[in-house]
Amino acid sequence: MSFVPVYILILGFTIGVDYFSAIAIENAKTGQRKWLLLLSLVANIGVLSVFKYHNFVNQNFSTILNCFKLSNPIPYLSILLPIGLSFHTFQAMSYTIEVYRGNQKAEKHFGIFALYVLFYPQLVAGPIERPQNLLHQFKEKFEFDLERIGEGLKMILWGFVKKIVIADRLAIYVNTAFNHTGQHTGATFLLATIFFSFQIYCDFSAYSDIAIGTAKVMGFQLMVNFKRPYFAQTMADFWKRWHISLSTWFKDYVYIPLGGNRLSASRWYVNLMVVFLLSGLWHGANWTFIIWGALNGIYLVIEILTKKIPFNFLISIVPQKLVRVFKILLVFVLSSFAWIFFRANTVSEAFVIIKKMATFKGPLFYENPSMLIYSFASIFLLLLVEMKQEFYTGSFSFMHHKSWVVRNFSYAVLIIILLLMGVFDGGQFIYFQF
Amino acid sequence: MKQKQPSNNKKEAHQLKGFVLKALLLIAIVFLLDFIIGTTLQYFYFKQESGFLYRTTYAIEKTKADVLIFGSSRASRHYNPNIFTNRIHLSCYNVGHDGNFILYQYAVLNAVLKRYQPKQIILDITHGEFAIRQNDYERLSALLPYYNGHSEIRPIVQLKSPYEKFKNLSFIYPYNSLLFSIAVGNAAFNKQKMKDIDGYVPIDKFWNESISAPVSLPNYVMDSIKVKTYESFINDCVKNKIKLVIVCSPYLFKTTNSDNSIDLAKAIAIKNKIPFHDFSTDTSFVNHRQLFADSIHLNNGGATIFSNKVIDKILLF
Repeated sequence: MSFVPVYILILGFTIGVDYFSAIAIENAKTGQRKWLLLLSLVANIGVLSVFKYHNFVNQNFSTILNCFKLSNPIPYLSILLPIGLSFHTFQAMSYTIEVYRGNQKAEKHFGIFALYVLFYPQLVAGPIERPQNLLHQFKEKFEFDLERIGEGLKMILWGFVKKIVIADRLAIYVNTAFNHTGQHTGATFLLATIFFSFQIYCDFSAYSDIAIGTAKVMGFQLMVNFKRPYFAQTMADFWKRWHISLSTWFKDYVYIPLGGNRLSASRWYVNLMVVFLLSGLWHGANWTFIIWGALNGIYLVIEILTKKIPFNFLISIVPQKLVRVFKILLVFVLSSFAWIFFRANTVSEAFVIIKKMATFKGPLFYENPSMLIYSFASIFLLLLVEMKQEFYTGSFSFMHHKSWVVRNFSYAVLIIILLLMGVFDGGQFIYFQF
Repeated sequence: MKQKQPSNNKKEAHQLKGFVLKALLLIAIVFLLDFIIGTTLQYFYFKQESGFLYRTTYAIEKTKADVLIFGSSRASRHYNPNIFTNRIHLSCYNVGHDGNFILYQYAVLNAVLKRYQPKQIILDITHGEFAIRQNDYERLSALLPYYNGHSEIRPIVQLKSPYEKFKNLSFIYPYNSLLFSIAVGNAAFNKQKMKDIDGYVPIDKFWNESISAPVSLPNYVMDSIKVKTYESFINDCVKNKIKLVIVCSPYLFKTTNSDNSIDLAKAIAIKNKIPFHDFSTDTSFVNHRQLFADSIHLNNGGATIFSNKVIDKILLF
């Protein structure tokens, strides 16, 4: 990661175009409004395309030309991808779309609009906010609310535990396996894949927790981005719990405008696939992300198709709890399988990993037992907390206990866990790269 | 504008006072727990009498050996001090440490020189010794338990990050991620399991895979801090009149070109009139897979041959 000051201008460009477009849309006649929105969208997507997708498209174009023994005259760009570009571009786009739809008034105050795009807690990795939720908050006056500040600080603390104790710990094993595909066995990849499922969840949701917590301390309410996705019982449920701000963005601005599920069944499936392919592409300019998106789209289509199969007779003879556990495990297995493509460096490496996992030969790699012990302990901690939140909401809570002594002691224990088990070197938020 | 009621202000002030008090209490609990747990970990860390962590303590705080062998995991697997002691009749200890290179070696040298002057030092360097790798700085965390007690190693540990000074205010931080290792290091079975011979860790494995075609080594930019540290290592040995020999121990695969770090290390050694011996291309090791545990580490058989060869060629020459 490096700091290139001139890249601030990219944000300046996006802010400028969207600020003036929105005001123009609001004041324009019906026929012109569409063109102004299009101008704004083209500008935003254009920036994203140049910085994120140009080289990827160009590379694929070269491959196609090579098949015909032709050379590609279009040069590759030697540029860095500004951090969080996809996040703030999508947030800026949601603003002009909502103004166009009449759900949001155009913001006349340039500084407030710039703050909406640049709001630092969620600038680089979301949640991708909607103008209806965030913009008006910049005009409100906040009272000094200790309870709110306390809640924000708790979220930040838990976010740091998830990032430093869990995600960065699991990353050590995951990176060792996935960055040396040829050297590791099926057993190692199976474990690394499970670890990656937890790593990416903790990494990304930790960032969201820290962002939401930071905003809360200052008095701002950001949208919830994760709701314990690995307790989902269907893939549809998973996507209602995972990266909610992006899922709902695609739902509101792509899926529903395409017709959603109100058209024929086949068109519905196509709509789902389009959304998930775009979601894959949003995550990165690589075929690995596109396949990841496609797989998730296919899962959803299969889920819709299999809903028609009467499983009721099976469900009636198997205990409900067992059915629930089976469903949760199935969703975890399916999403983890898709994560292989998300994490693998190339598509061919992903297939090598899957092949090795299928044959399941060779010993499990571990440099020393503590590597695995810390990893499992961190997952155990996460599951303990999230199971409590998912299934026992009203029961005993250390962090929300009525006695402030218990509460303070629980915060202190979390800080001690950070010092004792945290990984303080080399970790970076995965989602910065998107 | 509506004025705030005085009772509201009082309530807010009361709330704020409570908040500050609770925050102070939290800080006090954290400091107390940090002190108790950190001190306990420190006690058990330095109570170890065997194992990987103990070898670092022994190198920094205890050894008085005449001959010291410095280097990475390759040094700790390639030089058997027993052979040295038997043949040259000088006590010998292998300071080699997994995953640590010249920065760590120099810190340990400083700690050693503060206590005594060894007669002879062998510094084993590796391919890519001076390459720019962030990991090499992060792995200096192996020295954190010694940070507060050894002022001589602090400048090296501070290369990890500018915040090490502050991080080390915590009593737990130096033992971060070491809880399990400390527990194992204190367990009775560890003495049997973690066998080492004066720092030498033999491997009883053979390289089973085929020998690849000659490997082309990449060109890379040198890390000036590492190069300067290497020069300081040489200068300190010269200043303290310690016989220093620099060695690059064997590799399994043949290479098509020489390594940048080895070339530079050799040039600096020659400039300082320090003997430099490169065994990385020695034909009695290259492609002899029965002597290797993996592509970069000799097995016990290979280490025995190599240790004798070092004595024959260098120390008894």
